Amino acid sequence: MTDADGGGSDDSVPARLPRDRLFDALDRLVAASATERLFISGSALLLSVAIGFLLILVAGRMTSCGSAAYSVFGVGFCYDPFVVYDSLFLGAFGDFLANPLNGQFATTISETTVLVFTGIAVAVAFKAGVFNIGGQGQLVFGALASALVVYGFSGAVSGLVGTLVLVPLGLAVGAFVGGIWGAIPGALKAYADANEVITTIMLNFVATSFALYLASGPFKAPDSFANQTRTLPEYALFPQPLFPGRTDASLLALALAIAVAVGIAYLLRGTSFGYDVRTSGIQPEAAEYGGVNAARTVVTSMALSGALAGIGGAVYVLTIAGNFQTGVPDYGFDGITVSILAGNNPVGAIAAALLFGVLKSGSIVVDVGTDVPPQLVGVLRGLIVLFVAMPEFFRMIGQRVDVRDRFGGSRDAVATDGGEEA
Amino acid sequence: MTEAVRLDSITKRFPGVVANDDVTLSVERGTVHALLGENGAGKTTLMNVLYGLYEPTEGDVYVDGDGLTYDDDGAVADAPRRFDSPGDAIDAGVGMIHQHFMLVDPMTVAENITLGNEPRKWGGLAVDRDASREAVLELSERYGFDVEPDARIEDIGVGVQQRVEILKALYRGAEVLILDEPTAVLTPQEVEDLFDVLEELTDAGKTVIFITHKLGEALEAADEVTVLRDGRNVGTVGTADTTREELAELMVGREVMLETETPPATPGETALSVEGVTAVDDRDVVAVDDVSFSVREGEVFGIAGVDGNGQSELVEVVTGLHSLEEGRVELAGRDVTHASRRERTRAGMAYIPEDRQDRGLVMDFDLTENGVLGSQHDAPFAERGRLDWDRAEGHASEIIEEYDVRPPDADAEAKSLSGGNQQKFIVGREFSREPSCIVASHPTRGVDIGSTEFIHDRLVDLRDEGRAVLLVSSKLDEVRGLSDRLAVMYRGRIVDVVDPDEVTEEQLGLMMAGERPEDVPRAERVADAGPRSRDDADAEVADD
Repeated sequence: MTDADGGGSDDSVPARLPRDRLFDALDRLVAASATERLFISGSALLLSVAIGFLLILVAGRMTSCGSAAYSVFGVGFCYDPFVVYDSLFLGAFGDFLANPLNGQFATTISETTVLVFTGIAVAVAFKAGVFNIGGQGQLVFGALASALVVYGFSGAVSGLVGTLVLVPLGLAVGAFVGGIWGAIPGALKAYADANEVITTIMLNFVATSFALYLASGPFKAPDSFANQTRTLPEYALFPQPLFPGRTDASLLALALAIAVAVGIAYLLRGTSFGYDVRTSGIQPEAAEYGGVNAARTVVTSMALSGALAGIGGAVYVLTIAGNFQTGVPDYGFDGITVSILAGNNPVGAIAAALLFGVLKSGSIVVDVGTDVPPQLVGVLRGLIVLFVAMPEFFRMIGQRVDVRDRFGGSRDAVATDGGEEA
Repeated sequence: MTEAVRLDSITKRFPGVVANDDVTLSVERGTVHALLGENGAGKTTLMNVLYGLYEPTEGDVYVDGDGLTYDDDGAVADAPRRFDSPGDAIDAGVGMIHQHFMLVDPMTVAENITLGNEPRKWGGLAVDRDASREAVLELSERYGFDVEPDARIEDIGVGVQQRVEILKALYRGAEVLILDEPTAVLTPQEVEDLFDVLEELTDAGKTVIFITHKLGEALEAADEVTVLRDGRNVGTVGTADTTREELAELMVGREVMLETETPPATPGETALSVEGVTAVDDRDVVAVDDVSFSVREGEVFGIAGVDGNGQSELVEVVTGLHSLEEGRVELAGRDVTHASRRERTRAGMAYIPEDRQDRGLVMDFDLTENGVLGSQHDAPFAERGRLDWDRAEGHASEIIEEYDVRPPDADAEAKSLSGGNQQKFIVGREFSREPSCIVASHPTRGVDIGSTEFIHDRLVDLRDEGRAVLLVSSKLDEVRGLSDRLAVMYRGRIVDVVDPDEVTEEQLGLMMAGERPEDVPRAERVADAGPRSRDDADAEVADD
C-alpha cells in the first residue's frame, strides 16, 4: 500500500480544507466583539469609498466634458471624487455650522425618522425568527389608513387641540392597520405553515395595488391629477417648530422614533414577552421546552412588526407627504437593510437609519451640485450599503448555520464528541 | 511489534479550543484497540483526523494495514499520510463506521455494500447484480457474518445493519476499521455478537479501533486501551493488566465510586399516571402504543430500552411537548392530558430533556438567561411581565455553585460550556423548581463519571424527599441502579415491569429485544401498571 504515499509528504504545512476555512471565518465573525464589529463596519465603509473613488474616476474618463473637474498627473477627469463624497456625506447636513436647521438637514432627519420605524419593524420579526419582507405593504396600508382617518376627523377639531388629537390618532390607526396586515402572514405561518417570505411579498403587492385603487378611485382628491388623497390641514400634521418653512422634518417625530426604538430594545431584553420572542427566534425547540407558545409568538411578533411599519407609514404621511400618494418610496424594503446593518439591534437601527438618511439626502446634493449622473450616485450608495451590511449579514448566517448538524461536528466537536451512549 | 496505525504527536485546534493536544497513538496490527474517554475528551476528533475528515494542525499520520516498516533506528520508514478527504483514507485502507448508519433503507444489503463501487457489466454500462451478490456473500462468509444479501435494510435489525456497515468498509478494502461508539444502539446480546465479529476480523489480520466511553466494553472487547482526557493521551494499557477502577481514574483524573448504593424507597400516593397513551412520531408511525404506568411519590420509576423504541415520544407526551392520539395523563390526580407545557411546569413537573443542546438550553443565551427558561413568566423572576435580571443572575449563580458548573460564570454563554457542565446546569435548574414530579430523560448522557455520580445522588435525595421520579435511560446500569420499579420498552410498548434488583442483565436484554422470558421477577403491581401484551413479530431477534 505504497500508492497513496505520494500525497504531498514534502509539504510540511498541510493545506486546510476550504470548508474548514469558511467555517473558521464564520465562527470568527460570530465571535467578534462589539468594538471589533464597529471596526469592521468602519473598514468596510472606507473600502467601499475607495472602490467608489475609482469608479468615479473611471466614469469621469469615459465621459466628455468641457473642462476637467479633477486632474491628477496631468490626466483630467470629468468628476471630482472628493467633491462627490464630500457632497454625499456632508451634503446631508447642509451648512450645519452656520445654520443647523437648514433644509438639507431637514430632509436627512425626515428620511431617517421613517427608516428607524421600518428598520426596527424588520428587527423585531428577525428576533422572533421570522423574515418580514412585508414592511412595505404594512407601511403603505398604515399610511393610507392614517391619511384617511385623520382627514375624516380633521373637520371636528382644529388648532393645537387638533394636533394633540389627530397626530396620536393617525399614529394609532397606522399601527393598528399595519399590525393587522403583519398579523395575517404571521397567522398563515403559525397555523398553516405558509412561508412568511412568500406571503409577505405577495401581501406587498396586494397592499400597493389596493392602495392605488383607493387613492385613484373612491378616495382620490377631487381637484388633483395625481393619485393621492386629500391634503391634510397643517394642524393635523406633526408640529415642526424648529425648521422654519419646512413641513417635512419634525424633531418630535424623530424623538418618538428614538423612544420607540429604545422601548422595543427594552421589550426584547427586559420582559417575559421579549424573552419568549428571542428564544423562539434563536432556538425554537428550546422555546417550546420553556413553555413558549410558538404559534402565538409568531403572530404577536409579526403584528408588532407590522404595527411598527404602519407607524412608519403614518409618520411618513404626517411629516413628509401630508396626504397619501401612490408611489410611496421603498422605506419598507430599505428597513430590511437597515435592520441587517444594525445586526437586528433596535437601538443600532437608529444609527443605521441615519446612515441611510444621510446617503439619501446627500445624493440629492450630489445630483444638484455636480454633473455626476444619478445612476452613478445610486451605485456609490449601493456600494456603501453592500459593504457595510455584508459582514453583519454573514455574521447572521454564521449564527444560523448549524455546522455540527451538517458536517459531523466541526464547531462543536469538542463539546459533543461521542454524543450518544447506551 | 508491528503497528498498523501510528498517530504521531497529533494536535488539532479549532477556533478557541484544542481538541487534541500532542496525542500519540500506536495501534498494533491485528488487534482491537479501544479509545476510551469522557465526552469531549477528543476521541472522535482524533479518529476524524485518521479518517481524513480533519487535517491535523500538527503531527503525522502513518497507516499501513499490513504493518508499518521501520528503518534501522526503529523509526517509521513509511512516509506520513496526508488525507484530504475520507476518500483518501479509504484508498489507504482505513474505514470508519459512524454512530449513525449511512445506509439506504429501501435498498438491499448487497446494493448498499457495493454502492459507489458496483461491479459492472456490458462495458461498464450496467450494474452486475449477480457479481455484487457473489462478492457480498463471499465477504460475509469469510468473516463469519450472518448477512442475507437480498434483504432490504429497512427489514433487518440494527445489529445486522451495523454488520452491513462493516462489510461495506471491508468491501472497499479497509484493513483498519474505526468504529465510533458502536454499541450505543445495540441490545446487550447484539453487543456480544458485535464483539464476536470484531474477534473474527482481528483473526483475519484486520485492525480495529473502537471509540467508547464505557469502561466495561473497553475491557471486554479490546486488547489495548488508550485513555484520552481533555484532548491528551493519559495512558495506554493492556486490558490484561488493568482494572475498571484504574481506567475510571485515568478517565476522570481522580478516584470515583462506580456503584451507587440506594436505600429502599418508601412510596406514597400516585403522583403521575399515564393511561393507554398512544402517540405517533414525525412520520405518523405509531411510536407509543397503548402505554400505561404510574409513578408514586417517593419512587423512581425507570424505563429501559434500546434508543428509538418510543421512549422519547412517551417522555415528550408526558411533559406536554408531543401530542397524543389517545390516552390520558394525570399529574397528582389532575388531568393534564391537554395541558400546555407551561401549565405542567407550574403544576410541579420538572423535565430534564434528552437533548440538552436543542431543548434544554438556549445555546446563545448566557446562564443567567438560561436559568429562567421555563419560568420566564413566573415569580420570582417575572413581575407584571417584566423580568428581574438581578434575581435571575442570583438564581443562576446558586445553581452554578451548588452543582459545580464550570466555568463558574453566570455571564458565560451556554454553548461555551462542555456537555457535562451544560447538563449539570439543566439538572440544577430543574431541581430548583421544587418539583413534585421529575421526568429525567437520559440525565447523565454524555456526562463525566464524577458528575454522573452527583446527579444520581441528587435524584435519590429528591426521591427520598417524597418526589416522584420518572427516569428514562438506555444505560442499563443507571436504570437498574436507581429505579425502584423498571419498565422495559420495545417498539412502543411496555414489555413488562420488573423488579430491577432481581432481574438479570440477560433477562433485561431479552426484554429489550421484545422477548418476555418466563421467569422474570415482576415488580409489585401498582394501579394498572401491569404488563402489556407481547409484541408480535420479532424478526429482529430472529435475524441475530
